[in-house]
Amino acid sequence: MTEPLGGLRRTLPLAFVAIVAVGTLVGIRLDLGPGAGPAPAATSLHADLAELGRGRVLVGFDADIGTYAEIRPAVRAALAQLVRGGATISMVSYTPEGRALALAELDRLRRGGVEPGRLLDLGFHAGAEAGLVAGVSSIVPREADGALAAALRDAGAGIGAFDAVLVVGGNDLGPRSWVEQVATRLPEVAIFGIVPTSLLPQAVPYRASGQLAGLVAGAREVAAYVAAVRDDPTTGAVQGAAQVTDEPPSSLPVLVGLLLTLVLLAEAIASRWRAPARGGAA
Amino acid sequence: MTDLIGPDGGGTLATWVAAIATLLTWSILVGARRPFTWTQRLLAGMLTGYLALLAIREVIVPRLISPLAGDPAGHPLLLLGLLLAGMLVAGRWLPRWVGAVPVAILVGATAAFALGGAMVGSVLPQIVGLLPAPGAGPAMAAGAVISVAVASLVLLAFLHGRSQGRVVGALGAAGRWVMLGGVGAWLGYLVLSRLVLLSDRLAFLATDWLGLGR
Repeated sequence: MTEPLGGLRRTLPLAFVAIVAVGTLVGIRLDLGPGAGPAPAATSLHADLAELGRGRVLVGFDADIGTYAEIRPAVRAALAQLVRGGATISMVSYTPEGRALALAELDRLRRGGVEPGRLLDLGFHAGAEAGLVAGVSSIVPREADGALAAALRDAGAGIGAFDAVLVVGGNDLGPRSWVEQVATRLPEVAIFGIVPTSLLPQAVPYRASGQLAGLVAGAREVAAYVAAVRDDPTTGAVQGAAQVTDEPPSSLPVLVGLLLTLVLLAEAIASRWRAPARGGAA
Repeated sequence: MTDLIGPDGGGTLATWVAAIATLLTWSILVGARRPFTWTQRLLAGMLTGYLALLAIREVIVPRLISPLAGDPAGHPLLLLGLLLAGMLVAGRWLPRWVGAVPVAILVGATAAFALGGAMVGSVLPQIVGLLPAPGAGPAMAAGAVISVAVASLVLLAFLHGRSQGRVVGALGAAGRWVMLGGVGAWLGYLVLSRLVLLSDRLAFLATDWLGLGR
């Protein structure tokens, strides 16, 4: 006997995407915001990055393509804040995915008018955690040139040559790996992190213990941090890469999607409960 | 807007390619398997090409071949690494122990870095963090007690293959439920991340591609 709801079940994924699409379009048309509430972690990261001023910041860019959409607005806001403050930005990646995204962001910063002397591409470093440990003593590649590369070599050429590290997480080598491999060897270097919701349970204990100097984790804190950078009263009119142009998505489609997921989950659990009952009756 | 590609002609072309690839991937939603298979193969092929390019351009040439070509005697570690890599690649045609040596070094070094870092950077500091500081309030003390209880239950859940009393067995079962709850919560977080990704893709199609809402 064919399942009476079989046809309906087959259309569920399409219906799911269609409903989330309607939520997204309504959010775009009505310009609904992400609903940023108070988030002390976001305010704290904003204040800490502002204090770096013209310092040397290393961005450990190992985002995951599957979750980068969630943290991208915060990553760009952090880069915009660093550009505004006059910091130099050096990017390094330890995962292939992170490298692809880092290249795209470096290109975006260059297109946004950041002076070439303030950007340094440290490239992809193989070896995963062993590569991170090697970076403690040497992270500037031989082929890197320019004043920034020279200054870093003068300061030791390792991660210790930087004033702070901003870890963009999502992949295997996120803030946890940086805390375990780098912070234990260079406790004086402040490590900040931006991670998606899926890494929140893993990363938050390091914020609570103080091993991470700052952390923005999850959609709510991302929205709060972007709002903090965008509405910063201490900066005047800014242009190019110093602007905050990437806003977090509206929370409407996410809320709709979560409700639909709950309905589908409940239906799946109910059908499992019904199945033994039918078997028993037969 | 994703803004990962420029607004010039190349950027427009890339936007169209990305939009069409997204729609082809979603064709599985209406039961069209063939376009979905094309995009899967396209992704696999591009990923393989990208990884090969990354390895050659950013690792093998600048960090192995160039230094060795310039001053082979000055880089004994690179020579050793090259020898181990050669042993690994040629292991299929050589005695088994030859291939086992680089694998053993690889596994041993990875485990040493990961376990050493986890112990010094995570386990010990987090245990210290659990201990209530002198003068800590009741909320912090309660949090520490709950954390110790949860950690103990989860550890008991890993007691396999030993005769357990009724109490330990019941606590181990409770630990398994606690773990299940943790996995469920993590899956919930993952769903949230994926929903943001879906919404972002839909917004990309609507704004970057179709120009709605600009």
